[in-house]
Amino acid sequence: MTLSPLEMVALSIALTAILMVGSTHLRLNIWMFAGQTALLAGLTALYSWQRQDLHLFLVAMALFVLKAIAVPKFLLFIIQQVHVQRDSGTVIPTPIAMHLSIGFLGISYILASQLPIPHANGSGWPSSTAAISLVCTGLLLMLIRRIALSQIIGFLIMENGIYVFGLTQTTGMPLLIEMGVLLDVLAGVMIAGLLAFRIKKNFEHIDVTMLAELKE
Amino acid sequence: MGPLLQLTGLPALALICVWLCRSTERMARLVAVLLWLQVAATGTLVAPLLVQRETSLVISPDFAVDRLAAFFVLITQVVVAASMTHANVFFAQEGSHQTERRRNLRIFYTCAILFLQAMTAVFFCENLGFLWISVEATTLSSARLVYFHRSKHALEAAWKYLIICSVGIAFALFGTMFIFASSQYGAIAGGSLNLEELIKNGPALQYPLLRLGFLFTLLGYGTKAGIFPLHSWLPDAHSEAPAPASAMLSGGLLNCALFAIFRIAQIVTASGHPSLVRNAALSAGAITVFAASLFLIRQHGIKRLFAYSSIENVGLMLTAIGLGSGPLFVLLALNHSAAKVALFLVSGNIIQCSGSKELNDIRGLLAVSPYWSAVIMLGAFAVTGAPPFGAFAAEWQLLSLGSQQHLWILVALLVAALTLSFLAVCMHVGKMLSGNPKSKQSPFSPFGSTVVPACLIAVTLITGLTAVPKFFF
Repeated sequence: MTLSPLEMVALSIALTAILMVGSTHLRLNIWMFAGQTALLAGLTALYSWQRQDLHLFLVAMALFVLKAIAVPKFLLFIIQQVHVQRDSGTVIPTPIAMHLSIGFLGISYILASQLPIPHANGSGWPSSTAAISLVCTGLLLMLIRRIALSQIIGFLIMENGIYVFGLTQTTGMPLLIEMGVLLDVLAGVMIAGLLAFRIKKNFEHIDVTMLAELKE
Repeated sequence: MGPLLQLTGLPALALICVWLCRSTERMARLVAVLLWLQVAATGTLVAPLLVQRETSLVISPDFAVDRLAAFFVLITQVVVAASMTHANVFFAQEGSHQTERRRNLRIFYTCAILFLQAMTAVFFCENLGFLWISVEATTLSSARLVYFHRSKHALEAAWKYLIICSVGIAFALFGTMFIFASSQYGAIAGGSLNLEELIKNGPALQYPLLRLGFLFTLLGYGTKAGIFPLHSWLPDAHSEAPAPASAMLSGGLLNCALFAIFRIAQIVTASGHPSLVRNAALSAGAITVFAASLFLIRQHGIKRLFAYSSIENVGLMLTAIGLGSGPLFVLLALNHSAAKVALFLVSGNIIQCSGSKELNDIRGLLAVSPYWSAVIMLGAFAVTGAPPFGAFAAEWQLLSLGSQQHLWILVALLVAALTLSFLAVCMHVGKMLSGNPKSKQSPFSPFGSTVVPACLIAVTLITGLTAVPKFFF
């Protein structure tokens, strides 16, 4: 099987997510997320060139500025404020989690080949494999990490996965909707970041597994 | 006056009021008045739809309302206006007019107005993409409402609410992408998210992708509506938010999420596969109703009790969507919103008076305040579907529709669950009303704190007693 450059970029985006599962270092993870999103913006730009679509190029620019620069900067600011460097521990050991996410990549490949999308337009299985694997890996990261910030990063990875799917498997969502989604995600990250800041202030930690006082 | 101005003008004015009025008391009163004016403005806008003189009101190709959506817009606006009117009494009692809390209060009001606008937008969206954006905007604007008290519990509830709903909504976005993909192979050149185009080209949509899309959006928006295994955020958020916010979450937000599901169900039905909607929505709805009725039995918090009762009603509305009956969905929503908002508002009073959210600490309510007791008793009857109230008419229709279609398992499950939840809610409410009061605090402003909830109870009573249910069919 030969991969086109576009598919190679898409799969390397999925690989960065797996690397993030392997690291508990928050600052590194945020940098990797920035890299991942920059790759994603690059992928969007490549697609815009391939399809001769100016709208897509605007989306790529917005993605780069907002999600690859502004969001990581904001998250770095938050971890500086709350003085947390590492994820204090994971629900399952990091190496096992990383292997799990590699397993997810394999499962994603099988799922992607089952998807009833006509693969005639050059954006075949590899790209949708990357998309599904990103969603699964993001969800895994949210489930196994204890620090509020890691959950935000997990959510962002999921969101990137959904975006990869939309970019590679459809002919492109309308510009206005892409921008609206981007704006919503941005606002969501801001609010979640501020809440994480409050959690640190009130509880002296940001371990969300210990937020368990509200019960039946 | 353009429809857009009619919808956003007064809320924008209210926003200016929130930050310019020096006294927060006057600000709160002014905002309440402006919100009722907004109800009137929206009412005049959608009136031709309600009396069936027009079938839809188009603002732009992607924004329009039909009759069903018009009802929901009005319900939502009345819910918010009623909650914010009662908020005057509520926040006066919280001592929120002290200087250090003023800023907090202003932020609360700002978020409430934005929340109203986001919810209104949901019903106007004729485009699945904008629908998703609006639903996500409702989460973002209401997270701050949950975190009003700034306590640890409120923080925990707000965090869970934000994260669980955002992940759920992310799945809904995935589902929206699938639906978009399903439209671009053959049905519509370049694909479309426009509801009207999708329904028109329904049979040409690629079914396997549409099915995936429907299941993902059901999962996603279902998280937001609180369907059974995904409901965990709902009791926490409703219980920790201040009473006016719980009322808006329960009476407004849940309808929005269900409305989104309804819209997508319309597309699937138009594609010639109504059995998918039926199987998925009916099973999810019935399981939710049944599970919620079991949860209702062992509840320890007054607002958690009513939150679980909301989950039960969400299940009923989902069942109505599964049966493909839009009018029944509206009727259930109208009665649930009116009665539940009244209950949450009064339970706010009770919590402030007794100083505790625990059901065990609230006793002898009849002796403390007969007004509140009357409202909470009638509200409990209304929300569980006891005869004279509107919910009874709606549930009766639901059951008869189910038996007409020979869905005997569904009917049996619903009857069992409705009986169980009626008994459970009445038991808890009965315990609250009887006995000796544990605290010596006296009730405050008996008229002011009862008038809004009492009016809402009257709405559902009138719905049940008159020919209003026939109006929908």
